Amino acid sequence: MTVSGATQRTRPAMGGFWWRRLGRSRVVRTFGPFVPVVLAWWAVAELEFFPAAFFVGPDVVVAEFAELIKKGILPAYLSDSVTRLWTGVVFGLLIGIPAGFLVAMSRWARRLTWPLLMFFQAIADIAWLPIVIVWFGFSLTAVTFVIVYTIVFPLMISIVAGVEQVPRDMVRAARSLGAGRFRVFTDVILPGALPAVATGIRTGLGYGWRALIAAEIIVGTSGIGFMMFDARRAGEVTGVFVGMIVLGILWFALDALVLAPFERSTIERWGMIQTAEVAR
Amino acid sequence: MSTLEIKNLHKEYVDAYTGETVTAVGDVSFSVDRGEFVSILGPSGCGKTTVLNVVAGFDKLTSGSVEVGGKPVTAPSPERGVVFQSFALFPWKTVLGNVAFGLRMRGVPRREREPVARQYLELVGLEGFERKFPHELSGGMQQRLGVARVLANEPEVMLMDEPFASVDAQTRRKLQEDLTDIFQAKRPTVFFVTHDVDEAVFLSDRVVVLSSRPSTVAEIVTVPLERPRNWRSVLENPDFRHTVTHLTDLLAGGRAHGEEQAERLSGRVDSSSEPPVRADAGGES
Amino acid sequence: MALTSPAGRRGGKLSRRLSAALWFLLPFVLLAAVWVVIVEVTEVEMRIFPQITDVAGAFGELWSSGELFTHVGASLRRVVLGVIAAILTGIPFGILLGSSRWVAAFFAPLLRFSVALAGIAWIPLATLWLGYGERAVIFIVWNAMFFALAYNTMLGVQRIPTQLLRAARSMGTPRARMFTEVLLPGALPNIVTGLRVGLGYGWRGLVAAEIIAASAGVGYSIFLAQKFFRTDVIIAFMIVIGVLWLITDRAVLAPLERRTVERWGMKAVTA
Ligand SMILES: Nc1ncnc2c1ncn2[C@@H]1O[C@H](COP(=O)(O)OP(=O)(O)OP(=O)(O)O)[C@@H](O)[C@H]1O
Ligand SMILES: [Mg+2]
Repeated sequence: MTVSGATQRTRPAMGGFWWRRLGRSRVVRTFGPFVPVVLAWWAVAELEFFPAAFFVGPDVVVAEFAELIKKGILPAYLSDSVTRLWTGVVFGLLIGIPAGFLVAMSRWARRLTWPLLMFFQAIADIAWLPIVIVWFGFSLTAVTFVIVYTIVFPLMISIVAGVEQVPRDMVRAARSLGAGRFRVFTDVILPGALPAVATGIRTGLGYGWRALIAAEIIVGTSGIGFMMFDARRAGEVTGVFVGMIVLGILWFALDALVLAPFERSTIERWGMIQTAEVAR
Repeated sequence: MSTLEIKNLHKEYVDAYTGETVTAVGDVSFSVDRGEFVSILGPSGCGKTTVLNVVAGFDKLTSGSVEVGGKPVTAPSPERGVVFQSFALFPWKTVLGNVAFGLRMRGVPRREREPVARQYLELVGLEGFERKFPHELSGGMQQRLGVARVLANEPEVMLMDEPFASVDAQTRRKLQEDLTDIFQAKRPTVFFVTHDVDEAVFLSDRVVVLSSRPSTVAEIVTVPLERPRNWRSVLENPDFRHTVTHLTDLLAGGRAHGEEQAERLSGRVDSSSEPPVRADAGGES
Repeated sequence: MALTSPAGRRGGKLSRRLSAALWFLLPFVLLAAVWVVIVEVTEVEMRIFPQITDVAGAFGELWSSGELFTHVGASLRRVVLGVIAAILTGIPFGILLGSSRWVAAFFAPLLRFSVALAGIAWIPLATLWLGYGERAVIFIVWNAMFFALAYNTMLGVQRIPTQLLRAARSMGTPRARMFTEVLLPGALPNIVTGLRVGLGYGWRGLVAAEIIAASAGVGYSIFLAQKFFRTDVIIAFMIVIGVLWLITDRAVLAPLERRTVERWGMKAVTA
């Protein structure tokens, strides 16, 4: 029997198929590009384009990395940094999300705080570092304060924008279907603004993360930022490289394990991909 | 003398993910004469857009030949202007900037291109909107701008892919009348894709009807209507109704044929039962 | 991101403006009042928290001695140089990456990695390579912006509808002119986002880099003041930093956005 007109299936060449499959795998797509970059890095180091005091190859960095792990310095510093970031983020979310919705929902809260929000967001978080150190010394409290500060404002502003973007007709539909004010909030506005929360968290973390590194570099006594600047003071470029790579991996992990899943489960699933595409 | 000559056009797509080959166009041949308005009509998914994209130079054909003005088509060119269903106006250019775009790309100096652009804006009834941006126009006005933008280039052939599908019914009628008037005035060569039978008959000199996939030309129908045309008189014209009925039958036949195939196809999948199919699929992935 | 408060829409144009301005100022007045009262009541030491008048005094001092202008000038000069460098490099690079799907897919993870590191994390390396001083600071500003700008530009180019590219090509646009005629304006909504994000990073990078590697500038001054527990000077400079950023946003980014993206009716992705 002839099946003319139907989609013709032809088996693709095996080689091309595997290649394509490889190209489709998330892991390969994400980490594949790093392979040639590391190779190029290694080649540049081997060819000694730059003096070794300024530029070292991946082999040296890996050796130093192993050394630092063995000595226990890297794990200790890493856990210090992660603790600081984590504490700041948790408090930042605990404050920022309710405050954001309050400002978004209440006309009065909005009128009284919106200009202040804009202004405080404009004072770069790092500029708070000196006075915070006057208040708390260099302690977990000081770093937490700065990270909370960096996260709260972008988060609040983002939530206000998100609530505003919830289509009016959606709210009206819910009301005409019998939802009260409270149900409209929990069932329409809250989920509708979730993508904005995701965007806000991403923006806030991008800044909070930088604030942490800055704090550790400027006044730190431990942490990855401190390790890098300590190495720099000693003129050891290897330690700086190790620090940067650890920071990069840390962000990648944060992105892959926390941010991306959250965004996938809200924004992408509901087809509201727009905001997530913006890099931060 | 034909401006557009399509011979045995065949087009296959290879799906980038599954590696399947999809036949979009089976075997299509027809030609469009200079100053002629030809529509192509067919069931959804039969490859009308694909034919147009090949003529435009956006897609490469698998086999066959497409010639415009005696030269084979290889890449997009201002010789073959396209009016898009989505308008595809440049939001960052003013109305005038959009119309003058093609002339500017050809290096026509500003002093010469502006009068030309204005003349075409007038032709489509957009005079006075030169300084507006596209988003400030209504859907109907945007598409008239799309037409003016192409005509200003004086192409060998104007290609239109369901240009009026995204405007409301009222506006569509108006735009169709405007288009016949413009056609009457300028006599461009037009290749028009649609799946609206009335529209095809109202606008065209000839209508090419495609069968469902793998598409071939089922029939080429000549429209026995005088120009100039307008909806009021055309709707009362028995020739119009005859042609529409004939085309509708043709399309309905094609659709019945397609359903039959679908049934046969599903029958096949059922009867050949699951295990072998599964094994095949497993081997592939 | 509108700075104007969502005040009522009724009334004449002038009175509406006036009431908007009042609503805008009110929160600041309230904040200042709270500040005055709290410092009065708690009698907190000036080395911990200054009275508002102390800050005003410090500001006046910085103004009349000309120090304010020296430092703000030094900082602005670095920002301007860094930002110009980032725009001249980041946007073309992003467009280049965005114009091919495969190149974009290859570079996307690398750029994400780099965006995460951009700016402050480069300070140790920058000071090692370029020494302490002007060059390291400008490098940090450039670096902080470059990746965010390039990445967002790339995304913007990828988001240009295919039909628009086809329309341009079918009207005979030469390859080289696609860059200025279609790719650049088409990607502009995302470029503006990239500028905003990048400037945010750049500005923070500047403050941090000045603390470490400069002998003038707002970051340097604020940190110096901390060593002497001059909280009045610290807060004066913090306000200056906030105002400078607001001016950048209001006077440069917002008008750019209004004239282009908004004027053209292209939906900007706000954040
Ligand atoms: N880029 C592509 N890759 C794979 N298959 C494609 C591609 N473009 C079109 N096709 C397939 O080719 C066939 C014809 O598509 P085409 O868009 O030309 O149909 P059409 O006649 O314009 O349909 P409609 O009336 O719905 O617009 C369809 O089955 C479609 O799935
Ligand atoms: Mg189509």
